[in-house]
Amino acid sequence: MTREFAKDMRSLGEIFDFLGDFSREHGLSKEVEFCINLVAEELFTNAVKYGARGSDRVLISIDEDDGRLRLELVDFDAEPFDPTSVEPVTLGGTIQTRKAGGLGLHLVRSLVDDLAYEYRNGTMRVKVTKQLET
Amino acid sequence: MFEIELCGDGTIRLRGRFDAAQVEAANKVLDQVTESRVLDFRDLNYISSAGLGLLFAVQRRLADRGQGLRLVNLSPHLHEIFSIAQFDRIFEIG
Repeated sequence: MTREFAKDMRSLGEIFDFLGDFSREHGLSKEVEFCINLVAEELFTNAVKYGARGSDRVLISIDEDDGRLRLELVDFDAEPFDPTSVEPVTLGGTIQTRKAGGLGLHLVRSLVDDLAYEYRNGTMRVKVTKQLET
Repeated sequence: MFEIELCGDGTIRLRGRFDAAQVEAANKVLDQVTESRVLDFRDLNYISSAGLGLLFAVQRRLADRGQGLRLVNLSPHLHEIFSIAQFDRIFEIG
């Protein structure tokens, strides 16, 4: 399943509806649906916050094959931003010393099995893969 | 759908989906919090890093005054997210 969305925070509701339809059609558990919603939101909000240049649309694709879930976000006119090269966030420390940023990517990395990035001719593709439990 | 409500007993109830598009609405309520409060997550079924970031900022502001948020009635999914973020070390949960 693939659908195009406006690169705007107000698209989040449509994205969750899209992923909810996919989850129901594929009989995914609420836990997995929660996970793909969160991963999609984190990738999408990164595209909105850091990837905006010219294009105002992104494509989100999701498919499931042989127990493996793949979700891809394509931003057709993006600035290079490689999430796989970002240093892991430091989680320790007290409330006063801990940094607030970097949580989104930390959650994505923790919830998926693979995170891949490709940037070519202004088009960014971020793909995640998650093995479903049997 | 997302709702946040300051109840008569001082508890703050969150309902629905706390995503990046809801941070502004949530901040309108949480920005008024100046002392320790209980946040009831009984009807909250989703939170992302945007929501976590706002809660973190409120907790930090309250901690400077010796106050804090206590989070109750987290679903297993939400509990896992708080654990992954290691927010269970900076919030009282339960």
